[in-house]
Amino acid sequence: MTSESREKLWDLATYLIAIIIAAFFLVPLLWLLSLALRTRQEVFLGASRFIPKRPTLGNFEQILSDPAFINYLWNGLKLSALGGIGCLIVAAPAAYAFSRFHFQSRSSLMMSILAFQMVSPLVILVPLYRYMASLGLLDGHFGVTMIYIAVSLPMAVWLLKSSIDGIPKSLEEAAQIDGCSRFGIFWRITLPLVAPGLASAFILIMILNWSQFLVPFLLLTTDSKLPISVAIFTFAGTSSASSTQVLAAACLVAVVPAIVAFLLLQRMIVGALTAGAVKG
Amino acid sequence: MRRIEENPFSWLLPVAILLGVFYLYPIFDVLRLAFTNASLRGGEEHYTVDSFVALIANPALPDILWTTFVFTAGSVIGQQFFGLGIAVLVMRGERRRLYGMTALRTIVLIAWVIPGIANGLIWQMLFSEAPFGAINSVLRMMSIQPVAWLSDPGIAMISAIVSNVWRGTAFSMIVFYAALKGIDPTLYEAASVDGANGWQRFRFITLPQMRAAILVNSILITIATLNTFDAIISLTGGGPGRATEVLSLYTFNTVFRNLDLAGGSVLSVLMLVISLVLAVGYASFLPRREANE
Repeated sequence: MTSESREKLWDLATYLIAIIIAAFFLVPLLWLLSLALRTRQEVFLGASRFIPKRPTLGNFEQILSDPAFINYLWNGLKLSALGGIGCLIVAAPAAYAFSRFHFQSRSSLMMSILAFQMVSPLVILVPLYRYMASLGLLDGHFGVTMIYIAVSLPMAVWLLKSSIDGIPKSLEEAAQIDGCSRFGIFWRITLPLVAPGLASAFILIMILNWSQFLVPFLLLTTDSKLPISVAIFTFAGTSSASSTQVLAAACLVAVVPAIVAFLLLQRMIVGALTAGAVKG
Repeated sequence: MRRIEENPFSWLLPVAILLGVFYLYPIFDVLRLAFTNASLRGGEEHYTVDSFVALIANPALPDILWTTFVFTAGSVIGQQFFGLGIAVLVMRGERRRLYGMTALRTIVLIAWVIPGIANGLIWQMLFSEAPFGAINSVLRMMSIQPVAWLSDPGIAMISAIVSNVWRGTAFSMIVFYAALKGIDPTLYEAASVDGANGWQRFRFITLPQMRAAILVNSILITIATLNTFDAIISLTGGGPGRATEVLSLYTFNTVFRNLDLAGGSVLSVLMLVISLVLAVGYASFLPRREANE
């Protein structure tokens, strides 16, 4: 057998394995979709009706016409976005300093920032719950947003640092010669140049904030303030076997925004992730 | 003004304040609370080691730790193995310019952006023993006895691991994919000239070159799995019985169901110590990076 035909055989095997892997990762989502499109009767027919005979959008209609549900989506979006913006505002100067200043203990400081990522949010929430209760911040979006910011800070600092590292220093030096201040350089030159890095970090943080569960679950009690992640959990607790199709639709609605955001900006996100992974 | 601007620490101040208020201070407070009798109900607090004593005497603890260990080990091994396999496969496909490799990478990554809560609920619908449970209804169609995926204590753990591997593999894959891209292709060319076969190239070039990536990834996913909470609470709620009650879930239940703040703080300290030991343990295997910086 020539080496070329052996390679062709391996190509075939590659495809075969790729299809099995794709199936493993896709089938759960397709099953969710299949259930969400069914009537209550068809749910009980199981896998024999993988493609429902009478597909219906009624479950989605029921979910999306419920003002409470729209409100959960809005809360999720609001908290994710505010958390993402706040995080970038705090992280960007630090990332700049780590990238552009040479000072003692720089790498150990960066490592210690990363170390915070290893602390489970559960650990800090035990005491934070009490402070927030005594400050009257419990059950409010402000306190939750602040914790979102803190939780995603370590990753944001690292991502932005590696983006800033990728910008040539010469432009900044030219500005410096022209008499631009440090902050002026950061604000007028570095930040605009690093805009793609900021955007991908923002989207990535928003996606992760969207799946936050523990923080809003513990700190928010009023139903109208809950984000979607907590709401579907509560909904699952109250639903029964006969409302599985509605739960599936609700799950899908909660999952789709994150998937869409990811698909639209996948190249940027994968780039940011791999850059971080190679250097981290 | 000049001086403030040129001092790197003034640029780091916002991060320091935020991490100080929301991480450092709470961590110290957890350490302090572990030595009290604090309860979420309130009441008078005094310092005591009773909570530590109670933890050591707690007959449930060994089971919880074992459950946590099995769940973490299974997830980490599964995610590393799958992640590496898929990364190697995608790299090979790209080298041979096969179609659909980006699609495969995307499909795997989609699972990663799915919220943990939704992950648990989705897998509950797959594993369910009710008629709409996908896996069992396929088994029934093939006239195979359905399996008690979530209600048999031994199998429930496997189900939890499978769902966690499904969601977590993407992260390992992307880390390994990046690391594979970073390997100097001339190494492979040299090996081919020397007549090395595919397995030998993997064994003697890929694996050694990936050492750092594998170690870093191990730390990150071990700690992420250890902290997994939402995907388990929505899949099994810790059951049946206590079969899938991992340490994070147990800590949560102690504080927010039993309102035992001190006991929960002791468990939090235990979680911190385990994470710390893991991080230090892995880090000591890492090659010194300063040399080439």
